[in-house]
Amino acid sequence: MKIYSFLFILILIFNFSSFAETDEEIGLKIAKEAYESTRGYIDSTSEQLMILIDPKGNEVIREISGKNLENMDPDDGDKSLIFFNKPKDVQGTVMLSHTHVNDDDDQWLYLPALGRVKRISSSNKSGAFMGSEISFEDFSGLDYRKYDWKYLGEENYEGEVCYKLESYPKYENSGYTKRIGLTDELLRARKIEYYDRKGDLLKTIYFEDHKLYNDAIWFADTFRVVNHQNDNSTIYKWENRQLNIGLNKKDFEKSSLMRLAD
Amino acid sequence: MIENLFQRKILIFFLVYLFLTSHINALDFKAYGFIQPESSIYINGDGKHNQDNYNTSFFGKGTFISYLQEGDAKFTISAIGRFDQNDDELRYLDFQKFKYEYYFDDIALKVGNEIVFWGVNETFNVVDIINQSNLAEDIAGTKKLGQPMASISYSQDYGIFDIYLMPYFRERPFAGKEGRPRLLFEVDKNSITYESSAKKRKMDFALRYSAVIEDLDIGLSHFYGNNRTPVLSPNPSTLKFDSHYPILSQTGVDIQATKGPWLYKLESVSAKDGSERHLSAAGGIEYTYYSIRNTQSDLGVIVEYAFDDRNDNPFNNEGVIGLRWSLNDIKSSSLIAGYVFDIRGNSNRFQAEFEQRVNDDLKLFFDVSLNGSIDKADFTHQFKEDSSLTLKIAKYF
Repeated sequence: MKIYSFLFILILIFNFSSFAETDEEIGLKIAKEAYESTRGYIDSTSEQLMILIDPKGNEVIREISGKNLENMDPDDGDKSLIFFNKPKDVQGTVMLSHTHVNDDDDQWLYLPALGRVKRISSSNKSGAFMGSEISFEDFSGLDYRKYDWKYLGEENYEGEVCYKLESYPKYENSGYTKRIGLTDELLRARKIEYYDRKGDLLKTIYFEDHKLYNDAIWFADTFRVVNHQNDNSTIYKWENRQLNIGLNKKDFEKSSLMRLAD
Repeated sequence: MIENLFQRKILIFFLVYLFLTSHINALDFKAYGFIQPESSIYINGDGKHNQDNYNTSFFGKGTFISYLQEGDAKFTISAIGRFDQNDDELRYLDFQKFKYEYYFDDIALKVGNEIVFWGVNETFNVVDIINQSNLAEDIAGTKKLGQPMASISYSQDYGIFDIYLMPYFRERPFAGKEGRPRLLFEVDKNSITYESSAKKRKMDFALRYSAVIEDLDIGLSHFYGNNRTPVLSPNPSTLKFDSHYPILSQTGVDIQATKGPWLYKLESVSAKDGSERHLSAAGGIEYTYYSIRNTQSDLGVIVEYAFDDRNDNPFNNEGVIGLRWSLNDIKSSSLIAGYVFDIRGNSNRFQAEFEQRVNDDLKLFFDVSLNGSIDKADFTHQFKEDSSLTLKIAKYF
């Protein structure tokens, strides 16, 4: 009996001890847990404010409001609606996205000047979003399915121990070749450095103002983006974020764009 | 200018409705718009009809949206207006939208003026038919008038059905005597005939099915009613054009396939216009180069071709090559340029639009329209001397 207990414990040790896992497996595990801790929001609404700052310190404001719908399909992405409010010349414009994990998204744009909904190409997830330093690709940057991962060890950041993770995009049209990020023990991303297609350091996003929503999900309510190549920066703030409010799934279809617009 | 009783009745109904409901609920609404002074120079000298070389115009748009019944209903007013220095026909106010909508789970009901666009093409919009085009604004017909209607939408997973009933027809505005560009003769507003005995009061009808099937956006449509395009015939006694609106019965299809940076587009109609049947088709390809030369800017290349089996149709064998350059900068600078040409003849013209934001509520537009060599037989020959440069500044509020 004793010998069986001993063997059982031995098996347990070999199964669960970290030295049995590769750095890639540990990286994936942390990234997956971190991503899953942000799931279950069902749907959300928010107002978003962007402050675009040039190297001289000149500031420009952008305002949008957003709606999101969680996709429970483990192989597909969420749906989102963006309503553009500022600058005023884009007021009334609405963008609908059906995101996909490692493929182009489906995107439609309602243009009020033409009274027309256009299906647009979304091969450019890495382009500047409204002239800012953030790209569409960055909004889903925590989705572990989009990257290959590698655990680099622990690192102290602002007095806290964080996991240091390297990730490589799987999506062929990604604007990046590599990212190095820090995730804290509550599995919240704290900062990510982005390397461009040539492999040079492009920008860093600092995730700040973490807030616990519905007693369950941590979201960073501020993204501070610093571009190291052009010295521009963007402060992206979420305000009045509300989760699980029972949005109509049909709002996230092309046919609803006219209804949600003017 | 509320030009007919139908619109006036709706206006009164909604003002009363708004007055009543605003006391019950806190009114949830949005309002925005812009005013836009414009100045044009015609670079070929005086016009064919001695029109001015310079023109100043004021254009404006205001939109008011009120959300009612906790978001299940919506009331929208969107009006455009222009005051033009030279052309009487460009002094107008139009309610593009003046509508009340109510949403059930699968069904949406709508009453009032609306702008409905059908189709996928950038240049040759063959299928689009619901709204009348304002040719005084733009000879390509892209500027529309609000169409009074009652409509029902029924949406299911496999697509959406829209039914439109249009009880009132709006005649096509053309540029006036001092307008530029304008037709050879003025269009006589007192000499308009219809095939339908109900004339303007004919109940026009349209049906559309549209769906998204993965990479494909498709639409099938049918329209039966007064043709939006009149037949113009010169009247030797008045030296003006008489217009005749035949009854049009048109079945159309529009398809767009979106494959990464490639867009493939096709629109086609088979139509019975008066007593003659014709076929029109137009389609094209659009490709976008992203982040050109490692900048944030994108360059789109658009090629479209239009075919019509009526020999006298202005778009019976036309092509366009266009470029869309978006800088994706803080000022949202962009340039759209297009070269339109007749495949068989020598006619060609060039159009470009540049736009750039100045600050949060100011935007600048610069339009160029150049007519090249144009065959005498070509429809656009009458506009040959109307090449122009236009500067517009929009102030948003």
